[in-house]
Amino acid sequence: MRRRVVITGMGVVTPLGHSVGDTFAALLAGKSGIDRITHFDARTFPTTFAAEVKGFDLAKFLPATAGRYSDSGLNTRFALAAAKQALDDSGLLAAGLDPTRVGVYMGTGEGSEDFPAVIAGSAAGADATGAKVDHGKFAATVVPMLHSRREAELEMNTTAAHVAAEFDLAGPNFICLTACAASAQAVGEAAEMIRYGDADAFVAGGSHSMIHPFGVTGFNLLTALSTRNDSPETASRPFDATRDGFVLGEGGGVVILEEYEHAKRRGAPIYAELTGYGTTGDAHAMTDPHPQGRGAIRSMTDALKDAGLNPADLGYINAHGTSTPANDETETLALKGALGAAAYTVPVSSTKSMLGHLIAAGGVVELIIAIQAMRRAVLPPTMNLHTPDPACDLDYVPNAAREKSGVRHVASNSFGFGGQNITLIASRI
Amino acid sequence: MTSSKRRAVFTGLGVLSPIGSDPAAFMAALHGGACGLKAITHFDPVALPCKIAGVITGFDGRKIIPASMKEARKSIARMARPIQLGVAAAQLCMTDGGPTPEQVRPERFGIEFGCLMGASEPEDLARGGQLSCTGDPPQVDLARWGADGLKAVPPLWMLKYLPNMPACHVSINYNAQGPNNTITSVEAAGLLALGEAFRLLGRDAADYFLVGGCDSRVNPLSQSRYNSFAPLTRTHNDTPEQAVRPFDAARDGSAIGEAAAVLGLEAAEVAEKRGAKVYAELAGFASGFDRTRKGDILARVIGNALRDAGLEPADVDHVNASAGGLVEADAWEARGIRAALGGVPVVAYKANVGNTGAAGGLVELSASVLALHGGSLPGTINCTKVAADCPVNVQVGSRAVTKPAAVKISVTDAGQIAVAVVRKV
Repeated sequence: MRRRVVITGMGVVTPLGHSVGDTFAALLAGKSGIDRITHFDARTFPTTFAAEVKGFDLAKFLPATAGRYSDSGLNTRFALAAAKQALDDSGLLAAGLDPTRVGVYMGTGEGSEDFPAVIAGSAAGADATGAKVDHGKFAATVVPMLHSRREAELEMNTTAAHVAAEFDLAGPNFICLTACAASAQAVGEAAEMIRYGDADAFVAGGSHSMIHPFGVTGFNLLTALSTRNDSPETASRPFDATRDGFVLGEGGGVVILEEYEHAKRRGAPIYAELTGYGTTGDAHAMTDPHPQGRGAIRSMTDALKDAGLNPADLGYINAHGTSTPANDETETLALKGALGAAAYTVPVSSTKSMLGHLIAAGGVVELIIAIQAMRRAVLPPTMNLHTPDPACDLDYVPNAAREKSGVRHVASNSFGFGGQNITLIASRI
Repeated sequence: MTSSKRRAVFTGLGVLSPIGSDPAAFMAALHGGACGLKAITHFDPVALPCKIAGVITGFDGRKIIPASMKEARKSIARMARPIQLGVAAAQLCMTDGGPTPEQVRPERFGIEFGCLMGASEPEDLARGGQLSCTGDPPQVDLARWGADGLKAVPPLWMLKYLPNMPACHVSINYNAQGPNNTITSVEAAGLLALGEAFRLLGRDAADYFLVGGCDSRVNPLSQSRYNSFAPLTRTHNDTPEQAVRPFDAARDGSAIGEAAAVLGLEAAEVAEKRGAKVYAELAGFASGFDRTRKGDILARVIGNALRDAGLEPADVDHVNASAGGLVEADAWEARGIRAALGGVPVVAYKANVGNTGAAGGLVELSASVLALHGGSLPGTINCTKVAADCPVNVQVGSRAVTKPAAVKISVTDAGQIAVAVVRKV
């Protein structure tokens, strides 16, 4: 019999709060975390708003060591704060575990290249038309502008290394980046390592911030972002006929995954069992999902099979629901393909309507939201859903939270640019 | 650990490296003690303290992708160089021993890569920079960038660099609809990706994986960045072929190379059924994190990987080390190897190809896979006097393989560890 994996701690840093409780309460109230960009002067960008984390100070979570991370990116600092919350919540570090049996698996996004230096170097090295660049001149301009410590912290392994070092966790150490699926994939693969026996517990989740000039530039060029600059708080409107793109968010989330018998023995709080994990590839396109949602259908059916459940057993699904024209229609199609008739009866909501899209961090944060919905017997809404789209005809819990007791199983979908599809299922225990 | 896992074997191999871009040439170069590190000539490196790098000359991804794969060929233009290298190495691997669409179902065909975010290419940003900079040196004005500069950047700019793009393109090229992940743990990324694919095969979530690592940091931005913080040697600009000195008393830093390796990893029974050529078996895997870098955790992870493989230290022919001529990290790794495996012969191929980042683990592993298959193991170059703080038995010069297994280690400077155990079949 395979080892069972339970969630014994949760922590988040989101645009709506720096704890699971605050974030979930704001979601139930239908609050928006979306506003004008303050991280940099974005007034002339095609999109001028985002869901920023407000008033974040790592020292509130790690008073003794926060100074070590002053040159780290927000991705690392969000991850550390979320990990600290989740570890405290679980009591794992006080349980006298062998550190080599506790792993770290983060689905964390990159930091930002030094925008002023890279743009200056490109301009300085360019010929009159800007078509050719002298790479020697580029380097000669960039080298004196770079900040050594910040460049070192930009290395993509640093977040998982800092989390492991800060909390003395010597088990398997992974960091993955599959765009918007990353932190969900991290949770799924970490759970599999516990099932297999590679570790007894994992700090798993992810973090990301792309609210910087390069990030907004890149998504604006892809025309992926909403440009509803006159109304940021209603810009993210998943499944609504007038949706025009996603809203960039930032944040971090961590769950403590633990082998069930181990958690039971030490009397840990058990929030849910991670019962199902589906992981597939679209093999279709760089950005667009497969038009029939073939990978998304299979990630859901695989997760159900993994959990030994029927579609109607699900009491709530937290959708990927990005508010892009393509995702929401395809995800709806995929939900029908995977769940059959049950697609019309299982409530599905997209909390991205309030939180924005946390990119790599989205999956784990939304899993935590789904678990909270099950525990508190109330489903967070899809806000800003006022104009029905004939292609999106499911129960999206529109515009107001809904009480629902007796939910025993919840699912969360996460789909990445590049075609990675992840579905996680958590169950009451 | 469970004992019922499915066995996994290597059934294909594609390598692109500064010293050879097919398995036979790569091995011949290693046996001959070749070094791919040279003085940088593709731009003027005057601003860089370390002016050497390992470049793959004459690489053209479009020539490696067959003409029949029209879309795949066209896509090469949408990829930064690390991604091109990964996608091309995957094609080499498929040509070498990949399955036909009839032999492995799309849903059972997975992709795992180790890859990092690519460095922005100045050409993409130059026009936008000119439209939004003032002064000398230029200073970017964000208001002008947002209004005018941004529009001069190619629309698909961001997709050119994302780390999960090799896995994305490769999945499209071969209709691989199984699990698809990208690990970004720098030097450990490739081996961690391999370990994850091994577990996925073991739990019957797929039958076949293309597992790859690819990286190219010889471009001017990466070189500028790494010179600002990375432990690169600054004393070998005139003697690049002696620059990287694993475990050597005179080691003083690494140098950067570009490379890619993709291996076909397949459930043994599936490979047998389709009559695939088998290079070696992937027998064990483990990973961990060594915060203090004393070596005890590394030794434990090596032990875990051997136990996962069901092998004993006495079965180990050689250790294929991560060592890249770093003052502290080489000594750490040496202590771990000594504690776990005593005086076992140790080889380290970063001396030949440089630190190839996310590609390194699998490029270096390829040498052990080919050695177990072919019977002869290339030695380590540039280790003329083993350092007192590196208590390992460094193998200099080629020798015959005498025992069934090889242990491949990848570590990051931060303390991340991945260990794979490969067995002769």
